[in-house]
Amino acid sequence: MEMDLGIEVRKNGKITVIQLAGELDAYTAARFKEVMVDAIEDGGENLIVSMADVEYIDSSGLGALVGGLKRVSERRGKIVILRAQPQVRKVFEITGLERVFPLFDDEDEAVAALQGGS
Amino acid sequence: MAEADKTINNPDVSIPEEFALRDEVRWLKSEDIRLFRLLRESMNKIEPAYVATYPPSECGIATFTRDVVTSVAKYTPFSRPTVVAIRREHEIEPYERIVRFQIFKQNRDSYLDAARFLNDSEVDIVSVQHEYGIYGGEDGEYVLDLLEALEKPAVVTLHTVLQKPSPNQKRIVQEMVRLCEVAIVMVRVGRQILLDVYGVDPGKVTVIPHGVPNVHRVSAQSVKRSLGLADRAIISTFGLINRGKGIEYVIQAMPAILKKHPNAVYLVLGATHPGVRSYEGESYRNMLTETISRLGIGQSVRFNNRFLALDELVRYLCATDVYVTPYVNKDQIVSGTLAYALGCGKAIVSTPYLYAEEVLADGRGILVDFNSPDSIAESIIRILDDPKLKESLESAAYRYGRRAAWFNVAVDYLGLFHKVLNRRRLAQQLAAIKT
Repeated sequence: MEMDLGIEVRKNGKITVIQLAGELDAYTAARFKEVMVDAIEDGGENLIVSMADVEYIDSSGLGALVGGLKRVSERRGKIVILRAQPQVRKVFEITGLERVFPLFDDEDEAVAALQGGS
Repeated sequence: MAEADKTINNPDVSIPEEFALRDEVRWLKSEDIRLFRLLRESMNKIEPAYVATYPPSECGIATFTRDVVTSVAKYTPFSRPTVVAIRREHEIEPYERIVRFQIFKQNRDSYLDAARFLNDSEVDIVSVQHEYGIYGGEDGEYVLDLLEALEKPAVVTLHTVLQKPSPNQKRIVQEMVRLCEVAIVMVRVGRQILLDVYGVDPGKVTVIPHGVPNVHRVSAQSVKRSLGLADRAIISTFGLINRGKGIEYVIQAMPAILKKHPNAVYLVLGATHPGVRSYEGESYRNMLTETISRLGIGQSVRFNNRFLALDELVRYLCATDVYVTPYVNKDQIVSGTLAYALGCGKAIVSTPYLYAEEVLADGRGILVDFNSPDSIAESIIRILDDPKLKESLESAAYRYGRRAAWFNVAVDYLGLFHKVLNRRRLAQQLAAIKT
């Protein structure tokens, strides 16, 4: 099976940004979760998951995020979502998970929200 | 002719489980109650019920319903979906626990009992699957009894939208649309027919595509090996077999295809439709096997006379070079099998029934004349001769299929359920203000 998800990890100050490209679904969610867990274990208690290039997300992708949230919350950290595209945004809104994973369109605002602890 | 392999087992093409959100939430309940509560308080709640046939009944609507139910449930870990299953009186169906009420198809009272059950339940919204044949009464009119007695908002998914309905068939659809908040069709042409022929309110009709399994593209060659069909050019058709499928026309096309591609093999995958079997037995299949014998192509056509599980079906589809729906009914407004083939990114040849005409537009497939072995042979040969054309058809089909993956279609259904409920709440609030 093709694995249609690109993952890049970078730092923005103390915050870890995980940049995804492709589809976050049952085929790719486990790999994303591994990368997220590695990032958290490397000290990244606050995460930005950039979804500007994510076309689709399914419940596995949401499950991976919840798994990541469990780990960061043990360190009083948070996860926010950056630049979710319409179909992905719709998933967060319809499930209500936008109240758990705040959605931002601007990276600076996302960083400020994480640093401010809001 | 040979029988296709009975069982196949290749982990490379198995569809991964997708229940991760529910799994994570269940796990949190014991591991992190604070986060569990946060999710429970934050996530949207909805309690949908579904009225339809349901597995283990072997019918396309039953499979469709299970797919909708499970796909929606994956996004709603704090909800408990309900199925009201339609079944024949004399059949015993070992349903899953999710089936909380059963309607006996020909027992009119049981439709009212079902409405009472739903009215008294925690259910917020009812999703009704409609095909004339699954309900009792003339043209399945008993479904109207249920909808008239139902106090919960309902949406109906129309699996059949006839262009030339009888007066009674027309009345039933019109009444269903009137009694439901929204009618769902799977292609735009279905919506247009509802407006033009049935005169329904355009604001009450929405289009949500037929869902397809989440299958990532895979090399057909590797799967062919697992099926013992390496080096064969695989042509296939799957689904419940009945005379409307037009399989005889592909069989008649095979000699011409074999002249150009002697390695071609046509796989006919699926059991005879149980409803058909009950009144004419296997006479259609027998007619097909006689044709195969007469043409002397027994080594190039294979049957798998079973209702295939999803994983197995997907494996056959992944191995397929050309998928064919040679159906003979122009009015057919949906085809689950064609939707699945799109989802697997297959090169598709089809007769131009309404659903195929729309979903295979813009280079997503090749349309052929009805009842025409010559036209079928010509198109299949064109694809097998031209790898670039094949790849272009496969890519276009796959792109379309991704949007129609069940996980996306579930979001469409869930979004619609919330929209209907919000609208109803708003209307109730406005009514309260006026009084």
